[in-house]
Amino acid sequence: MKKSMFNSTTILSITASILAAGGVQAYELKLGTNLPPVDLHGFVSQGFLYSSDYNYLADDSKNGSFKFSEAGVNAAFNPFARTHIAAQGFLFDTGNVGQYHPFLDYASIDYTVNDQFGLRAGRIRRPAGIYNAIQDIDLARTFVLLPQGMYDARWRDWSAGLDGGDIFGNISLKKAGSVSYEFYGGLVNMADNGGVARYAENGLPPSPVGQFDGIGATPVVGGQLWYNTPLDGLRLGASLAFMDGFSYDVTVIPPYGPGTIHSEGNVILQQYSAEYSIKNWTFQAEYSTYDFTGNRFAPAYGNANIGATGDNPATWYVAASYRFNKYFESGVYYTQFRDYSTDSANPDGHQNDLALCLRVDPKDWWTFKIEGHYIEGTGLLRDSSHNPVRDGNGWFMLAVKTTFSF
Amino acid sequence: MKSTFFTLALLGAVLCLGANRTLALDGAVVIANSSVAADSLGADAIKDIYTGKTKYWDGGQVVVIAMLPDKTDAALQQACGMDTSAFKTFWQRLAFSGRGQEPKKASSTDELVKLVADTKGAIAIVPADAALTGVKKLEIK
Repeated sequence: MKKSMFNSTTILSITASILAAGGVQAYELKLGTNLPPVDLHGFVSQGFLYSSDYNYLADDSKNGSFKFSEAGVNAAFNPFARTHIAAQGFLFDTGNVGQYHPFLDYASIDYTVNDQFGLRAGRIRRPAGIYNAIQDIDLARTFVLLPQGMYDARWRDWSAGLDGGDIFGNISLKKAGSVSYEFYGGLVNMADNGGVARYAENGLPPSPVGQFDGIGATPVVGGQLWYNTPLDGLRLGASLAFMDGFSYDVTVIPPYGPGTIHSEGNVILQQYSAEYSIKNWTFQAEYSTYDFTGNRFAPAYGNANIGATGDNPATWYVAASYRFNKYFESGVYYTQFRDYSTDSANPDGHQNDLALCLRVDPKDWWTFKIEGHYIEGTGLLRDSSHNPVRDGNGWFMLAVKTTFSF
Repeated sequence: MKSTFFTLALLGAVLCLGANRTLALDGAVVIANSSVAADSLGADAIKDIYTGKTKYWDGGQVVVIAMLPDKTDAALQQACGMDTSAFKTFWQRLAFSGRGQEPKKASSTDELVKLVADTKGAIAIVPADAALTGVKKLEIK
């Protein structure tokens, strides 16, 4: 708890320093008379989570938790014709994931041949649906928490980016609108203490009987298509990704072992999206699913196949938001998560969430949000040790977040 | 048969929505830095710039959008279908995912005109009564 408070204080201190320095506007770094300036932007978000029945997204949200923060600084410039370079340093903390360790979030160079075709290489954000590429940028959305079955705040190391490249462009269909595309390939580097690792660890018997050893880097290929319809504000999207050789290792001792168990398989992700903005209203609907199919092997026994493993959940949501004026915006969504590998009567097999949010923008550089959730099911808690007893009764959650940006 | 007719009618209606798009800005004009080769832009070209689909001028110079929040809201809505708040969020999504640069902001009409005059590749929607010094006014085709 002490560590949590210290880090929250540190983040808020950085924010205060930025504001005190008057640096609330984007900063432009001039490199010389013949070079274009570098645009610098940044943000700091500090959140608070409180839940009535379970510890969710934070180890101690039942007591109220401030372990819900993000901060980033990015730089972008165009050194040559049709060339764009961008990079962002980032840190975050969501419960026991992230823990304020700074890392290079993205760093890429792209060359746009024309509106129809461009290439990008480096560490890039993975496009999927409306929010995946900006899932942890609080100021770029209405809600504090996105539907967690689709945009799990703890899983960003798995979902947010990759090291590789992509091609992109926008193809005009004339009167029928246009199609934007992005196709990518590369390597997803997951952390041994990241959200997906914690998820795998959550399924093990308690340590020292079960011990999580590590998670492998995973090749991924995929793409995102957006059809920008001729109806102003309406776009339809589809995303597909394939991860080949997703793997992790665990060690177990008696009565489950002894030995190392290597799990390996393929993951297919699909996501379908619709977004319609008209006047002050924005309506969104998305559906996503992934299918992990694999096998478990025991290296200590000649790499014998000791059984299949897999995961096949799906999530959908519908959302509506309304901006009253430049200061106030409100939004509501309803989402259902369903884990098809678990019996539907099991509270861990589903999670339904009704959320209502109020966003206030007192200044151009300051955003404040407060959001209430009524939740049924416990399928996304993914933290058995802090929630030993679970049932199907409804429960409440409060999420508050404030973001300063420049 | 009924459903086929309905589908075709719906498709036709949607296609008609995109036909003959013209643009008239309420009390505003479009200006650009003198380095921009174009003297006129069509409604679709302006929309493509303001929605990030066109990021470079012919010749490869980067498009720099400059804006005056709150003063040209109606014209911005007409140009790209987004009000100032939606426009800001849209560009934050691009900028914070490494896919674009946020528009530059000015706090007054004179400052906006000067910003466009001083920034290569800049484009802006300004109030029609602005004193256009050192910039070129783009005709909307």
